[in-house]
Amino acid sequence: MTRSYDVIVVGGGHAGTEAAAASARLGARTLLITPDLSRVGQMSCNPAIGGVAKGVVVREVDALGGVMGRATDASRIHFRMLNRSKGPAVWSPRAQCDRGLYPRGVRRILDGIEKLDLFQEMITGVWMEGERLGGVVTRGGQRFSAGAVVVTAGTFLRGRIHVGGEAGVPAGRAGEAPSIELAEALEARGLEVARFKTGTPPRVDGRTVDFSRLEVQAGDVNDYRFSAYVDEPIPEQRVCWITWTGEGLRKVVQENLGRSALYGGAISGRGPRYCPSIEDKIVKFPNAPRHQVFLEPEGLETTELYVNGLSTSLPGDVQEAFIHTVPGLEEARITKLGYAIEYDYFPPHQLRHTLEVRSVPGLFFAGQINGTTGYEEAAGQGLVAGANAALKVQGLEGFVLGRDQAYIGVLVDDLVTKGVDEPYRLFTSRAEFRLLLRQDNAPERLGPLAERRGLLLPEQAAALKDRRRRWVEVREWFRSEVLVPETANKVLREAESAEVNRPVRAEELLRRPRVRGESLARAGGAPFAGNDELVAAVELEVKYEGYVRREEDRARRLRDQAGFLLPDDLPYADFVTLSREARDKLVRLRPGNLAQAGRIPGVSPADLQNLVLEVRRARRGVAVDATDEPSQGSPDIL
Amino acid sequence: MLLRLAPSLRGELPRPRVTRLLSLKDPTTGALLDRGLVTWFPGPSSYTGEDSAELSLHGGSLVPALVLDACVRAGARMARPGEFTQRAYLNGKVDLVQAEGVADLVEAESEAARRAALAQTEGGLSRRVSELREGIVELEALLAYHVDFPEEDDPPVPLERIVREAGGVAERLEILQATAPGGELLRDGALTVLAGRPNSGKSSLFNALLGEARAIVTAEPGTTRDAIEARVSLGGYPFRLVDTAGIRPHEGEVERLGIEVARRYVARASLLLLCLPCDRAWGEEEATFLSAVPVGVPVVLLRTMRDRIPRGAAKAPGPPGGIGTHAVIDVSVEDGTGLREIRDTLPGLVYRGLVELGGDAPVLTRRRQRVAVTRALEEVLAFRNALSAGVAAEVAAAHLRSAETALEELVGVISGDEVMDRVFADFCIGK
Repeated sequence: MTRSYDVIVVGGGHAGTEAAAASARLGARTLLITPDLSRVGQMSCNPAIGGVAKGVVVREVDALGGVMGRATDASRIHFRMLNRSKGPAVWSPRAQCDRGLYPRGVRRILDGIEKLDLFQEMITGVWMEGERLGGVVTRGGQRFSAGAVVVTAGTFLRGRIHVGGEAGVPAGRAGEAPSIELAEALEARGLEVARFKTGTPPRVDGRTVDFSRLEVQAGDVNDYRFSAYVDEPIPEQRVCWITWTGEGLRKVVQENLGRSALYGGAISGRGPRYCPSIEDKIVKFPNAPRHQVFLEPEGLETTELYVNGLSTSLPGDVQEAFIHTVPGLEEARITKLGYAIEYDYFPPHQLRHTLEVRSVPGLFFAGQINGTTGYEEAAGQGLVAGANAALKVQGLEGFVLGRDQAYIGVLVDDLVTKGVDEPYRLFTSRAEFRLLLRQDNAPERLGPLAERRGLLLPEQAAALKDRRRRWVEVREWFRSEVLVPETANKVLREAESAEVNRPVRAEELLRRPRVRGESLARAGGAPFAGNDELVAAVELEVKYEGYVRREEDRARRLRDQAGFLLPDDLPYADFVTLSREARDKLVRLRPGNLAQAGRIPGVSPADLQNLVLEVRRARRGVAVDATDEPSQGSPDIL
Repeated sequence: MLLRLAPSLRGELPRPRVTRLLSLKDPTTGALLDRGLVTWFPGPSSYTGEDSAELSLHGGSLVPALVLDACVRAGARMARPGEFTQRAYLNGKVDLVQAEGVADLVEAESEAARRAALAQTEGGLSRRVSELREGIVELEALLAYHVDFPEEDDPPVPLERIVREAGGVAERLEILQATAPGGELLRDGALTVLAGRPNSGKSSLFNALLGEARAIVTAEPGTTRDAIEARVSLGGYPFRLVDTAGIRPHEGEVERLGIEVARRYVARASLLLLCLPCDRAWGEEEATFLSAVPVGVPVVLLRTMRDRIPRGAAKAPGPPGGIGTHAVIDVSVEDGTGLREIRDTLPGLVYRGLVELGGDAPVLTRRRQRVAVTRALEEVLAFRNALSAGVAAEVAAAHLRSAETALEELVGVISGDEVMDRVFADFCIGK
């Protein structure tokens, strides 16, 4: 008998769990199928969540009602606000998590969602019902029918693990079987497939580490939470340690390069430049005298440490040898070897902005299968794909976030309009509106939208309202509070700013560079002093009002362009006033609107203007002659 | 089509880029039209990037016309003005700036205009703009490293370094921007107005300057019936010389009119040549002309009719102290005194930036180019000033993106993810 669901999610990683949760929150009957239910929400790589740009994504996922923020709060054992010394626009929260507590938190949240079922089995194929997807088939031959299917296969599609220069072992993660039939089934649907690689470092037994030789990296002491809606109890905190590689390690690695899977030729897939293996670092920067190594606790109840910075595909004996050259690790025993993994991904230009596969209606992809890396990037896509799968089944309008609304919007748009040529991760410099896309304002940015679209549970919506009230309170305090010179000057001296000799409103002082909102709030005895997040949000909006407005103006222009729709069937090849390169790219990528077209590398501002003319003339049914005067200039035509 | 015109090829295209002597025949009747040299340029290695052929025919008016007609009957059509270059642009063979250079090159009427246009066609200006854009990308990369990678092996980039490098980029933008006032005049020539009271020798000087210059292109009545305009190349630089002497002073009323006309031209002039005979003293008329000159426009006082006063004798008084002119030259069209000095002096006054830079430096020749470079310069300066004032670097970076966009629009290219590429090339990133 065929079991039937509205939405089926294949995979239980960070993309799969968010997809299933979002779909079920929207009221769709949802099934999550994964080969091993005990590994739902597993952290396959380092036990950390957040970081620059990524931390904002966690906040966005949370603001949209997602799982990741809460699970992180419930499992974090070390927390730091990166970029704290810079402006609040780029503060970036990052947490080390207990590798056991995190998935338990995820599972607890999923178990609390109505309409969501879990099932343990390997999916080996999909079946069609005419032109659209009908459902999935398990290894045991069981069929599940669904209105839409979200595939989040991570690194499992034809995954192959390399430790040393041998041919590698088929595996999805260390010790887990890969998914080969599903990869073949999807390829058989005519999808273009390509290969990437990534890697992990070895882990060591903490009892064999000489901590006296390491530098302690303490976490921030505060009760920062990724989740704006639910206050999870935060576990006991631990420290991390820092050490450095040196000449000894360089020698060992160089002498054994030929035995590396990466440099011995066993791996062909392309890896991420921002997550280089130790082999890469030694080869590409031979003059760097040393490289940092972070020792990160794997959990509260284990002594295992994650050796961040020494990702490698060298054989076990070489890993052993180079580890012992690192100060503090001279006697360290490896518990798990580092490895490189190669896997299939489907180049994401084959997707719509809803993450639905263009050529297979009803099939959605999210996570590493789209050529990205990172738990956070996976979670963001999972949420978008899961929500859109549910909305499609319900016959509702798709859920697409703009580049001016969320890093998730930047991520999806980059994937779909630009494609990837290395595993994709987010950076703040990928976003044109990073003053708007901050970690502090994610709930204000996305909460109301999430509520409107039905992505928030009632208790999340209530918490959002409460937060809004506190935000207004902070804003009003700065607007109306008048500080006497004595109070104001204390803060101004500290900020090396000119002192005042008359009472002055807090907001006026906040406009000055270097004057911090939290200092003013403390000095002025504000009732909310200590709530740094809301203060930072208000501070940024007051201090950089001009810049924020400038970004808002640009965002508005972009939205105008996004309103100029480009139908899927435009005869780009006939648009002779466009450069050949632009025509080729447009035929291949078929952007949905003018703003997307403008972000395709190779489509110039002049092409964009001529595209508008071509489309207008095509609508009027008039052919355009190549010799008509093309307009050249700024793309701000709308 | 070439095959239909040259049946002796027997349906096989000639070897690329090798000239062949072929019989060209009428595609309908087969009648021999001419024997000429044929060169075949298959795309993309051709000027336009598309397949093309060049025919060298016997001259005259009839033979080329017959062959053209045959081509049209064989399926060709006449190219419209600029179409070859337009196609080259659309096929990615030249960028926007180079395409503009081609148009300028065809129309160049002076040595300086030709040099600037040729340099532009060859990609000199495009290269300079790309270098400047790269300088901005480099700054963005420093900021990206500053913001995106807080925990790396290398220490953070000091802000002073970013401020300093921004200053360097701004300086280079300024140098390029400074070529614009002269560069934009290169295409049409600098409007140079000969002004002065009636009978001050304007018309004779006008004729003398035209006679001196061998590179006269046109000498036609001006758009108004009361002035004469001529294009002339002086010292290799283009000038539009205007003589306002079209009206003869038969009576007082008309005389006043003549001055009015001159004043209208003066208001738009790039250069004023104010004529005052050596034997006449500075008076109210001269002061009136001078007051009409826009700020910044150079004025040369020409003491005309030098031959009328004996060598060594004192000239009648010039302008009173405090009234400045950029040069004073004694002239006589009778014996040629001062004509060479005029030719040598004028280019330096109008084309200041260009003359100093020398012939090979890239020059901005269009308003569009100046606007883009100016915008980029203003944004880079705003960035530097914001950083110095304590604005957070990641906030001030908004200016850099605007500057980059301005330059991209200028050459008509659009960037990929170069900022990140630069970061990865320069820093060892990642745990």
